[in-house]
Amino acid sequence: MTTWAPIEYTDVAELRGPLVVVQGVQNVGWDEYATITLESGERRHGLVLDVDRDLAVVQVLEGTGGLRAETTRVTFAGSPLRIPVGAGWRGRVCNGRGRPLDGGPPVFGHDSAPVAGLPMNPTVREPPAEPVITGVSAVDALTTLVRGQKMAVFAESGLPHLEFAAQVAAQAHTGDAPFSVIFAAMGLTHGDAGTVRDILDTRSSAAELTVLLNLAGDPVIERLLTPRIALTVAEHLAFVLRRHVLVVLADMTSYCEALREVSTARGEIPARRAYPGYLYSDLASIYERCGRIRGRPGSVTVLPVLSMPAGDITHPVPDLTGYITEGQILLSREVTSYPHIDPLSSLSRMMRAGVGAGRTRPEHLDLAAQIQAGLSRARQAGELADVVGESALSPADRRYLAMAEAFRTRLLAQRPDEVRTLEETFERAWQVVSVLPRGELSMLSEESLEAGYEGES
Amino acid sequence: MRDALAPLAGTLSRQAGIDARAIVAGAEEEAAQVVAAARQEARTILADARADGAAQAEAAAVTERIRAERQARDMELAARREALDELRVRSAAAVRALRDDPCYPRLLDRLSALARAAGGADLVVEEQPDGGVLAKGRGRRVDCTLGALAARAVEALGAEVERLWAP
Repeated sequence: MTTWAPIEYTDVAELRGPLVVVQGVQNVGWDEYATITLESGERRHGLVLDVDRDLAVVQVLEGTGGLRAETTRVTFAGSPLRIPVGAGWRGRVCNGRGRPLDGGPPVFGHDSAPVAGLPMNPTVREPPAEPVITGVSAVDALTTLVRGQKMAVFAESGLPHLEFAAQVAAQAHTGDAPFSVIFAAMGLTHGDAGTVRDILDTRSSAAELTVLLNLAGDPVIERLLTPRIALTVAEHLAFVLRRHVLVVLADMTSYCEALREVSTARGEIPARRAYPGYLYSDLASIYERCGRIRGRPGSVTVLPVLSMPAGDITHPVPDLTGYITEGQILLSREVTSYPHIDPLSSLSRMMRAGVGAGRTRPEHLDLAAQIQAGLSRARQAGELADVVGESALSPADRRYLAMAEAFRTRLLAQRPDEVRTLEETFERAWQVVSVLPRGELSMLSEESLEAGYEGES
Repeated sequence: MRDALAPLAGTLSRQAGIDARAIVAGAEEEAAQVVAAARQEARTILADARADGAAQAEAAAVTERIRAERQARDMELAARREALDELRVRSAAAVRALRDDPCYPRLLDRLSALARAAGGADLVVEEQPDGGVLAKGRGRRVDCTLGALAARAVEALGAEVERLWAP
């Protein structure tokens, strides 16, 4: 009934910043979706931030510029925001609340789902398994991303973390299995958004990619919806349409800053660094939407990308993210070559489930462990060399330093537009360990060494 | 004296001849090796250049394919949007035509009842020149004009709209 004759509330008590206070409302709830109609007929959208008796506070997604209290009309949807879900999202570029930016019609779907999502029943969850190949050697070899996993990328300030995120989104695949990527950009400047789109444009199959772009100038409350819309679309693609979906969320620090602003507007008590006390559970409500469901072939893999303010890994956003995610990739300024991945601070906790015979290569885990051990020894040798000079090091230590250099130049360093196949990555990984004498490679089996070792025995 | 040295000169001359031939042969062999090495290098350079060229051409072809696919996709999306806009315009016109229908007064009564049922019995209902009614009360109103109803009808179609461009 109300679909055909919705009530428009016309008694706007106050316009303040992005907020509209409407009085005389009935049966309006928190987080309800609202449509605001201007005198000109222009329609904007908003969310209910607060309700007190017959007063409702609505945050307008597009801002309140041009609104007049006397002529503004507000309609409430009767429920929190729902979006259509389905294959219609594939190949589309939309803004942070899912409206098209690519010149096409709105996205349609035969089903709809609430963007807030429903928590997955823990008893039907399947542990992550099988890899997502990113085409970035340092990730595929040492911190393999596994289908259904949530793995964070932490970046020190000034590093090209968005380019890295876009490169992964442009290159990632799951072999022959149906695959989709959803790139949710949050709080990006126009310059950054342009760079990200240029990189994403290189993805060979555009139909596999969905882009949601929330820019720095867009309203903060839209930024709270962007990752949720991305995950709602992903869940349907994965668990109904049986695809493997990678959701890249960049930059989650901008998301958390938006959450802080909205929390302040709601008058909530601030916690650490003025972020709301529920930051942990809010982040968990996003990250925990990844996974696999028993009996259904699809998966949702989440790759949140965060910039660490002042390079501080104890900042609430990376700190709380690190509690929830199953591994991390650290981009460090100390690593001079792109993609700046610090291999000794990066870890994929699910790697064991995603690699090995039948998945990547039988020797994958041992080879990764051997490289990590070698790099660790090289770091110690490097520290020693700083004190006594490299010429005073033992020949073995000098070989480890050479191995670390080979790692940097042959395996880690990669152009932002360079896709490396798994075969190429393994070839390079074997070149790196082959710098060491065969006797030092105690983590690799004789069989693997026979097959892969390229150095002098 | 000269005769006495003649055998020596002859021997030296022969030796010099042998040496010269050996040197020439060595030089020829070396030259042949240099030429062979140069040919080999040239072949390698050519093969590398061919491989680079092929890789570049392949990359350029991939870029061109992606660009063309994207352009085709953009055109398709724009056409879909135009089709949807056209549907909106036509449905608005079709609904407005109801004003000339003999049943229009009955429709107005139905719309007034609908507006009051949604917004409350105290609403004051006014007929609108563009067709339909607008019900107003304190702090609220219900828009049942024909234009608004046509827009809601298209909205209510949801994914059905995709039949406009479905093959």
